Amino acid sequence: MAELGDTKPATLRIDTHAEESGAAVITLAGDLDMSNADRLKETVAAVTAERPPLVIFSLASLRFIDSAGIAVMLRAATDVGEVRLREPTAPIRRVVELTGLGHVLQIEP
Amino acid sequence: MTDAQPAAVTPAGTDSQDTEPARSSGRTPQARRWRPSGAALLGVVLGLIVTAALSLTALSVYNHNERRLLKLRVHEVDLVLAATAPTIQTPLASAAELADATGGNAAKFSSFMVPFVGPGREFTSVSLWKLGGAKRPVASVGVAPANAANRVATLALRPGSLNVMGELSSPRPSLGFEYNGSSKGYAVYSEDPLPSSRRSSLQGNSAFADLNYAVYLGRAQRPSDLLLTSVKELPFRGLHESDTVPFGSGTFTLVVAPVGSLGGQFFKDLPWIILGVGVLISLAAATMTERLAFGRQRALRLAGELDRVAAENRRMYIEQRDVSMTLQHALLPDTLPEVPGLRVATRYVPAPSGGDVGGDWYDVIAVDSNTVLLVIGDVSGHGLEAATTMALVRHAVLAYVAQDPAPATVLGKLSEFVRGRTHDYFATVLCVLVEVQAHRITLASAGHLPPLLLDGHDARFVSLSADPPIGFPTVAEYHQTSVSVPPGATLVAFTDGLVERRGEVLDVGLERLREIARSGQRAGEDILGRLARDLTSDDHHDDTAMVSIRWQS
Repeated sequence: MAELGDTKPATLRIDTHAEESGAAVITLAGDLDMSNADRLKETVAAVTAERPPLVIFSLASLRFIDSAGIAVMLRAATDVGEVRLREPTAPIRRVVELTGLGHVLQIEP
Repeated sequence: MTDAQPAAVTPAGTDSQDTEPARSSGRTPQARRWRPSGAALLGVVLGLIVTAALSLTALSVYNHNERRLLKLRVHEVDLVLAATAPTIQTPLASAAELADATGGNAAKFSSFMVPFVGPGREFTSVSLWKLGGAKRPVASVGVAPANAANRVATLALRPGSLNVMGELSSPRPSLGFEYNGSSKGYAVYSEDPLPSSRRSSLQGNSAFADLNYAVYLGRAQRPSDLLLTSVKELPFRGLHESDTVPFGSGTFTLVVAPVGSLGGQFFKDLPWIILGVGVLISLAAATMTERLAFGRQRALRLAGELDRVAAENRRMYIEQRDVSMTLQHALLPDTLPEVPGLRVATRYVPAPSGGDVGGDWYDVIAVDSNTVLLVIGDVSGHGLEAATTMALVRHAVLAYVAQDPAPATVLGKLSEFVRGRTHDYFATVLCVLVEVQAHRITLASAGHLPPLLLDGHDARFVSLSADPPIGFPTVAEYHQTSVSVPPGATLVAFTDGLVERRGEVLDVGLERLREIARSGQRAGEDILGRLARDLTSDDHHDDTAMVSIRWQS
């Protein structure tokens, strides 16, 4: 099946925990793209099912995100109401700015 | 969104087809006939050879040992036999001396011999003879002598020693012993009858019960010289030992063979035990080897089946992808509007991973003879779902353009349209209204990257602030911007697959695009061809759509 996988599969690590304020924190590390966005989608669905007041994506170790990944975060924003991005790296910060999502996915000060 | 990871075993929705290869391949393993492996056969042969060698060695050691033991036993028998000579000679010699001393007194002879004669005693028959031709004995104790007793008196037998006289061809065969002190005095003669068959067992001598024997008179082992034996048939076959034993003036020949095993039954059985155990071990080892070989074959077969299943999955996967790709190509416009003064080009490059097709699309819509609307977008996700969503959004745009081609209005209506439906996607859309004669463009972006404007020498991205993508539930207001375009300029709109790279700031990708487009423009190249060659060949992972519009004057 090697001929189907010319690009290296993206590796993504997903960890979740709750902050004292009640905010759900989803920590992502690696690359988030269409090959693993479904995994994150399941995690996000499980987290938002508990109706946290706020979902925070902690992105300090996330190197890459594509439109499929952005879509999952937007989905979380539509379900919860408020989604924040914590410590996004420069490439991700730029994607959010360029795609006009700055006021939907707020970057934590 | 369908998972585009190629390692996925079976794409969802093909379960019914998936079971088919597993079912058909399930028949093959049972159909094979069992055939022993070469390794197992070799193991058996080697095991049997080693077993045979060990077994023969044990047999040889056993035989050697038996022979040695038998020699020892023969010597023991010799000693016992030799030791009986004095018990015969002493009474006879004493009686002969007594007769010589008493002048052949029969009464004294008889009273002397009586304690030695009778069942269970040394002698069966003892008689006293006057040497020199007497036909009858002077005296006789016990059974009367049967054979040629008169010869005792006539033959000049050696005086002073025990003379052995075998009467073996007589109708009543016997073994006799004679003793005379001097050739002119008296001789004493004892005689023991022999069974006609010569069969006898050693009387009560259990120390030699483990031996068969044959005793011959003289040194030869002729049947006519046989005195006694314990067996029916002679000579002995198999292992036997012989020895000669001096007895009085004569000689006995003793032949001995073991009844069973002298060294013990275990050592006799040892070669057979080794043979049996060796054969068992060889067979067990071969069975194990065979099972290992069989397991290996089965693993290989299983691997082969997995390969077949994988190939089948691959085929179906490619088939499904081809369906999606065909659909997408069908959904993209195949003809572009002819607008005087404007040259329009488009290009679509699928993801190199060969995975699912994406939701990228473009459209160039003629609003009137002097105006076109360029639309380019990217629906999140891949596969059939993204392609059909793209078709829906694209046709909605066509409808809204007919009402009002202003980009912000189109995006606003599209947003309304999508918000009113249950959906699970987002779409970035860029709308550019191109007024050909006025050299002016008006743009609005729903989360889409800005287009690149080439003005003959330089290249720059159109300054544009993006509004949120289509599909977000909160009401968004879309803004539009107008920009003047110099004559001969080229506008390039694209989707993110052209510039996005893992671990790279988006600005780097945008700058790379700008540089390549600028150098391509200076060289007078086909811009989209150059971009496709330079930017969609190596590291890009997503589908890419591009549209270029060039003012011809």
